[in-house]
Amino acid sequence: MQKELKVIGKPMPKLDAGIKVSGKAVYGQDVVLPDMLYGAILRTEYPVAELVSIDTSKAEQLAGVVSIITADDVDVNNISYRRDHPALKKGRVNCIRDEIAAVAAETPAIAREALKLIEVKYNVQEGVFDPFEALKDDAPQINEFSSHEKNKNISHPFHYEHGDLQQQKDKSAHIVTSRYFLPRMTHACLAPCAITADYSNIDNRLTLYSVTQVPFLYQRDMAHVLKMEPSRIRVIQTVIGGGFGSKLDMYPYEPICALLAMKSGRPVQITFDREEEFIASPTRQKMVIDLTSGVDEKGKFTFRVAKIIMDNGAYTSWGATTPFVMMQTFSSMYQMPACVFDADAVYTNNVYAGSFRGYGNPQATFAVERNIDLLAEKLGMDKAEIRLLNANFRGEFTGQELEFNTCGHKDALEMVIDGVGKTRKENDKDQKRYKKGIGFASMLHVGGGAKIYPSDGCGTILKMDDYGYLTIITGSSEIGQGSETVLGMMAAEELGIGIEKIRVINTDTDIKPWDVGVHASRTSFVAGNSLLGAIKELKTKLSPKAAEMLKTDEDDLEYDGGTVKSIKTGESIKIDKVARQIHFKGPNDLLTVSHYYEPGSKFADKNFKGNISGAYAFAAQAIEVEVDTYTGNVRVLNIHMAQDVGKVLNPLGLGGQIEGGVVMGMGYALTEELKVDNGYILNPSFHEYKLPTACDIPEIHFYPIETIDEAGPYGAKGVGEAPLIPTAAAIANAVSNAIGVEIDSLPITPEKVLQALSNKS
Amino acid sequence: MNFNVASPETNEELFEVIAANQGRNFRFGAGCTDLLIELKKQPEKDLTVINLGYLNDPQFNSIENNDGSVRIGALVTANRITSDLTIQERLPVLYEAANQLASGQIRQVATIGGNLCTASPAGDMACALVALKAECEILSANGKVRVVPIEDFFTGVRKTDLKENEILRSVQIPVNNSGEKVHSGFIKVGVRRSMECSVVSLAYHIQITADDIITLAGIAIGSVAPTIKFASSACEYLTGKRFSEIGSSESEEFATKILEYASPISDIRASAWYREEVLFNISKSIFE
Ligand SMILES: Cc1cc2nc3c(=O)[nH]c(=O)nc-3n(C[C@H](O)[C@H](O)[C@H](O)COP(=O)(O)OP(=O)(O)OC[C@H]3O[C@@H](n4cnc5c(N)ncnc54)[C@H](O)[C@@H]3O)c2cc1C
Repeated sequence: MQKELKVIGKPMPKLDAGIKVSGKAVYGQDVVLPDMLYGAILRTEYPVAELVSIDTSKAEQLAGVVSIITADDVDVNNISYRRDHPALKKGRVNCIRDEIAAVAAETPAIAREALKLIEVKYNVQEGVFDPFEALKDDAPQINEFSSHEKNKNISHPFHYEHGDLQQQKDKSAHIVTSRYFLPRMTHACLAPCAITADYSNIDNRLTLYSVTQVPFLYQRDMAHVLKMEPSRIRVIQTVIGGGFGSKLDMYPYEPICALLAMKSGRPVQITFDREEEFIASPTRQKMVIDLTSGVDEKGKFTFRVAKIIMDNGAYTSWGATTPFVMMQTFSSMYQMPACVFDADAVYTNNVYAGSFRGYGNPQATFAVERNIDLLAEKLGMDKAEIRLLNANFRGEFTGQELEFNTCGHKDALEMVIDGVGKTRKENDKDQKRYKKGIGFASMLHVGGGAKIYPSDGCGTILKMDDYGYLTIITGSSEIGQGSETVLGMMAAEELGIGIEKIRVINTDTDIKPWDVGVHASRTSFVAGNSLLGAIKELKTKLSPKAAEMLKTDEDDLEYDGGTVKSIKTGESIKIDKVARQIHFKGPNDLLTVSHYYEPGSKFADKNFKGNISGAYAFAAQAIEVEVDTYTGNVRVLNIHMAQDVGKVLNPLGLGGQIEGGVVMGMGYALTEELKVDNGYILNPSFHEYKLPTACDIPEIHFYPIETIDEAGPYGAKGVGEAPLIPTAAAIANAVSNAIGVEIDSLPITPEKVLQALSNKS
Repeated sequence: MNFNVASPETNEELFEVIAANQGRNFRFGAGCTDLLIELKKQPEKDLTVINLGYLNDPQFNSIENNDGSVRIGALVTANRITSDLTIQERLPVLYEAANQLASGQIRQVATIGGNLCTASPAGDMACALVALKAECEILSANGKVRVVPIEDFFTGVRKTDLKENEILRSVQIPVNNSGEKVHSGFIKVGVRRSMECSVVSLAYHIQITADDIITLAGIAIGSVAPTIKFASSACEYLTGKRFSEIGSSESEEFATKILEYASPISDIRASAWYREEVLFNISKSIFE
């Protein structure tokens, strides 16, 4: 029998809420070190050019300038898992972000002034901005470090398949094919990028005050670039003002800052202003998806064939590996007998894409769910019914060999179908001008980490002091998602101590044990399991002593209210007293333990098959919109969101993830696009890059579904990415439903809507 | 972005500051919500911003209800306009324009004078004032005052009739107190519901007698031409008609007349095609 939970499942304000609302949180921009200099980066003026000469002599003479570096001054390796990205560019520039030189100066103003004094001669060249052009035989090779695996301009090709395609085609009563266009979206983190580098030439150690979401991979990547030993690099994460995947890669400004610190012998800080943040941070992949899907006469799906061209930009980031996630959606979201999937990340002279919450899944889900609506229309079948008929189920072993040990897909669909039925009010407005529609979409995502690195684990060290206070040293990172609060709640639950007696230390690679990083919605799941393992070990020290003191058996003990209790006798003893007895009386030990957890998931094989996650998350959304046929504006009226979260750990934190994610999905659906023309970014400001505002946000009805997955802590699964993933698809389906037009691209701007209406009539 | 700031409190001090800056580079600033962005994009050397925000002259900073007109000081903020009962009741077009401008924070400081003097074709309050046939009262540094009809105030994209050393002091809006009904409003089209720069805007203010006759119409359009345009032929078309008898063919004819004043461009926000299409649709919508 599951014991009654006292902390888990109850709303808990975030542990870092106080410092954040009071302005005491130390973000990257707030770091000040003695003698610190300020760095600034000179970026190219043209997306594509030969660098004829770089003259820094005038800048060097400016009073207050301490160091200037160009590619010629440094001995470094390339960045990126494809090793195709030089931190400072030599000989040529390939996209508008490219770093040519960097300055460290006494003040930020002097550093910026110095940039203006650096004289660069360019030989401007034509670029390739369309990935389809880049694939042609006569296209120039865009990235000189390209691996040439399939084509000189393909950074990373992926191919996956399962099932008997021909057989399934023969079974199909209807087949639809569509081409979908997905735009660049940027993370728009509230805190722009920032780093402070401090190099000591006494012990040759480098300390980085960084905003990375993957500190241990970052340490390794930084070491590779700088040709240092990783252990000589200490990464201290500042409070991070938004990650959303943008901080999964290391970008050139980071090693550049370290190089400036090494050269100048003083700490150096580089921060972006908002415009630089828009220009120089990564984006969601722009891609074109060709999807063909089939259905039999009863409405059962038969096959999917997807061919995807991703605009990689000039260099490769982790974002090029989004096909790992996308192929799961094509192969396994809804029961799927056969699937063929190809995706190529194609080099162009555009700004490079990165990883972004959802990791390709919003794009894939958009294509799959639009196709489903088209199939339902061909069949004349209800759009809710066709989804229910094909929903994933518990015990399903998919063509890609994912194992759904728990599955709330069908429940989620039923919840939102029911929910939207209740909020829908018909004919309450002039139907001539305003048209209403409903759209459905589901999502499947990893919910128990994702084994794509050699390890997907997390270490925890616990320390309980003589006063019964607990320090959790976790390898995992907090980027605002609320994982440290959830960890605190778990410890409070298990040890029966108040949350105010718990501290979470999670920011220093010199102290914390290894963890792969915040991504794949994994932290509460993986770090939570790691913590629970550590608490078990802590109890192997606490319980024998407590049992001895209470003169009872270990399995008669209960941890509650700051005490350890005998259930039989009702007698109790304060936990800090037990701690002191262990320390001072015997066995003369400290309450310090460590534990490492590695999820039971497997690596995918070379054909990308295998159960790569410890658990899977499912969700469904039903969205009601109203389209103004006079202006093309789409107003979202109600969003119904049901998600299989395994188990609700902190309803407050969960609510924040759900609402934030849904709103991000609305931006992707309706207003957000980083516009790039001939390699130049047209809208690098909040004025022209349109995030949704509070006035645009509808009622969000959230229905958590608890399937209690035994792999997760208390049955929980990952939740962070899911709420964003189906939103754009559901909105597109709703708009199409409202006005009877095909919606094949995002964002669904008023102009596109009006254009579609005018094409129709 | 570096500049000096002078903050005169009285008209005398204002004139002195202007006199002291003759031959030098100076700009006026009120809420500075346009000015700072402009200066960030194009920094000016040795600039003095003459901050009008502390002027204590009520003619600059109050709303006055006179018989037959409302006079609004140039320094009155969008927020104050939205909380003025007379404006809410008698001049809905201005109330709605002020209320749809930017966001709560910006409305707290953005002034009506700044909105006019910036002379943006997308100015929301400015568009309402054109529909209302307001008059601009201009104060010169030598103390002289002149009055210009708003149509003559805008002379081009971001250009006004203001001469050097001239300041906008107030706008005067005629108000009909004969008890006639008004059909008045502001329609702003953009991609989101706040913090939006108009992609197309339409201001309308129509007076209707108790027996349903339109006696006066003011229609202005924004973001579809280099300046905000007053659509006089559309106004004339309405005058004398029975309001309740305007059906779909009349409203389409009316919309067609409005379109004659539009010469939109395609830019990052929308195409010319979209702007025309929407202008037509929202124009006819005011009679639906
Ligand atoms: C985020 C944001 C959103 C915005 N959204 C909107 C919007 O939705 N709709 C809209 O219409 N505008 C919008 N604006 C523009 C701006 O807020 C308005 O135009 C506002 O009314 C300007 O008033 P201000 O007092 O801030 O002008 P200021 O910036 O102080 O001045 C603007 C110009 O007018 C001159 N000036 C000001 N007062 C006088 C005077 N009395 N006499 C002579 N010259 C003068 C200044 O020298 C300057 O050239 C937005 C601005 C921002 C920053």
